[in-house]
Amino acid sequence: MELLPQALMDGILLGGIYITIAIAFSLTYGVMHIIDFAVGEWIMFGAFAGYYLNKWTGLDPFLLLPFVFLIFALIGYLIQPVIHRVLSGNKGNPLLMGLVFTFGLAIMFQGIALTVFGFYSNSTPSVFSEGSFFIEKFGFFLTISSIRLAGLIYALAITAALHYLLKKTNFGLGVRALALNRDSAGLMGVNGKQTASLVYGLYVGVSAMTGVLIGCILSVSAQMGTEYTIFAFFVVVLAGMGYLAGVPWAALLLGMVQSIFLIYFNPGHTLLAVFAILYIILLISPRGLFGRGV
Amino acid sequence: MNVLDVKDVAVKYGDLQALWGISFSVKKGQLVALIGANGAGKTTTLKSICGLVPLAGGEIKHNGSVISGQPVHKVVDLGITLVPEGRQLFSKMTVEENLLVGAYLKRTHSKRAATLKHVYTVFPRLEERRNQTAETLSGGEQQMVAIGRALMQDPQVIMFDEPSLGLAPLMVKEVFNVIQELHRQGLTIFLVEQNVHQTLKVADYCYVMENGRIVGEGTGKQLEADESIREAYLGF
Ligand SMILES: Nc1ncnc2c1ncn2[C@@H]1O[C@H](COP(=O)(O)OP(=O)(O)OP(=O)(O)O)[C@@H](O)[C@H]1O
Ligand SMILES: [Mg+2]
Repeated sequence: MELLPQALMDGILLGGIYITIAIAFSLTYGVMHIIDFAVGEWIMFGAFAGYYLNKWTGLDPFLLLPFVFLIFALIGYLIQPVIHRVLSGNKGNPLLMGLVFTFGLAIMFQGIALTVFGFYSNSTPSVFSEGSFFIEKFGFFLTISSIRLAGLIYALAITAALHYLLKKTNFGLGVRALALNRDSAGLMGVNGKQTASLVYGLYVGVSAMTGVLIGCILSVSAQMGTEYTIFAFFVVVLAGMGYLAGVPWAALLLGMVQSIFLIYFNPGHTLLAVFAILYIILLISPRGLFGRGV
Repeated sequence: MNVLDVKDVAVKYGDLQALWGISFSVKKGQLVALIGANGAGKTTTLKSICGLVPLAGGEIKHNGSVISGQPVHKVVDLGITLVPEGRQLFSKMTVEENLLVGAYLKRTHSKRAATLKHVYTVFPRLEERRNQTAETLSGGEQQMVAIGRALMQDPQVIMFDEPSLGLAPLMVKEVFNVIQELHRQGLTIFLVEQNVHQTLKVADYCYVMENGRIVGEGTGKQLEADESIREAYLGF
């Protein structure tokens, strides 16, 4: 019992990271109607970018975040039109095409990473890597590592920034309009192609930044991506496809499930548990936790 | 000066040809109507003007310069606005957000507070429901939002695609009143309708469409006097 608060705390810290991954992923789905199976690979490339930039420049990974964001956002912005072209043929099922195409991308990216970086696993050092806080209250004893806390603060900042962008800016209004009704958004003057490219750039940039942090908190390796793709998928489906407001809760739930399994059960069964929960919830509520997805 | 010049416009959906080289024009300040049966190609005509469907032939001019081939967001920036068939609101946004998307463009963004106020004076009902999502509105209220959203765009010409569709008689009357009022204020209007009787009364000039072709034109009086057109297309 005394481990439960610690498990919940770890779950929140982990879930925070998943929020940033899943929000950008869900936003991209809403605007482009693709489920990007390469999401984990963007995280992986971001993690390597953080690792090597830190090695070469000696700068703390947290200071590298804006730089990593800009580079990857630019990459995403530039390749979005290619993805759009592949998917916008009027034959076949575009959603299925999207899955197949991005799945192929993911495998290719992983292959490239294995060739370039090898099989080794590393982690990126940061000033926050060492310290931790101890909290003793009501007879409970909690340990919070400073790097995980920093990760949570990052996640909250990104979530708040995305929320502000979507709800309070004209650009965000256009993005939401585009996600709801493409033709109508065009009739209101929203440049659909450019907006989709910007959203994809934003998503790739945020995913890569999150990758930098995962490289500090956990590890960096060429095969790390798949796990995060599965988690992003889990969170977005659980929240309800395209229902952004549900994402933080679904992400926190995932973090909790994972940390509880880590402490109480066999960590090797975490994925099994994650999917068992997904199936059960979807059986009860096919449109996600809140019944608000599509 | 013609606000719109449509010349020999053809549109194909795959193998299906929806428009077969139609030509017509809309003069500044006029209320021009386009009538025709279901599937005649009226919506396709409007979509081709906006740049929502590509042309298979012909060209479209706005104030004398060619606009066909431009993407939809460029066309609307010229002041050409469409109130689409079936309203096409942003269902999960509030009424006010729907209206504000209307002022998305740079051209209109800076004065959006003032235009919003103006729209609320035209449709006081919308101000009462400003924080309600669009999907929870009645059909008539949704049509008001669709028209209000168009007004937010500070248009030169508004094109309406069957604005009275599915509305109760009282609401139909109100929609026609609003359109006439906009016309009186000097806006150029292109009105697609199936409500032939009302439309012929308010329009300065009318085109009749069938199977992707323009098959008749004239003022309301002329069309009503034309025996063959009256029997074949007007249904009275
Ligand atoms: N996206 C599309 N793909 C294929 N065919 C289409 C498409 N849109 C319209 N059509 C076809 O083009 C023809 C003209 O359709 P359009 O919607 O322009 O008619 P309309 O005059 O607006 O009819 P209504 O009064 O029912 O709205 C129809 O035969 C229709 O089936
Ligand atoms: Mg139509």
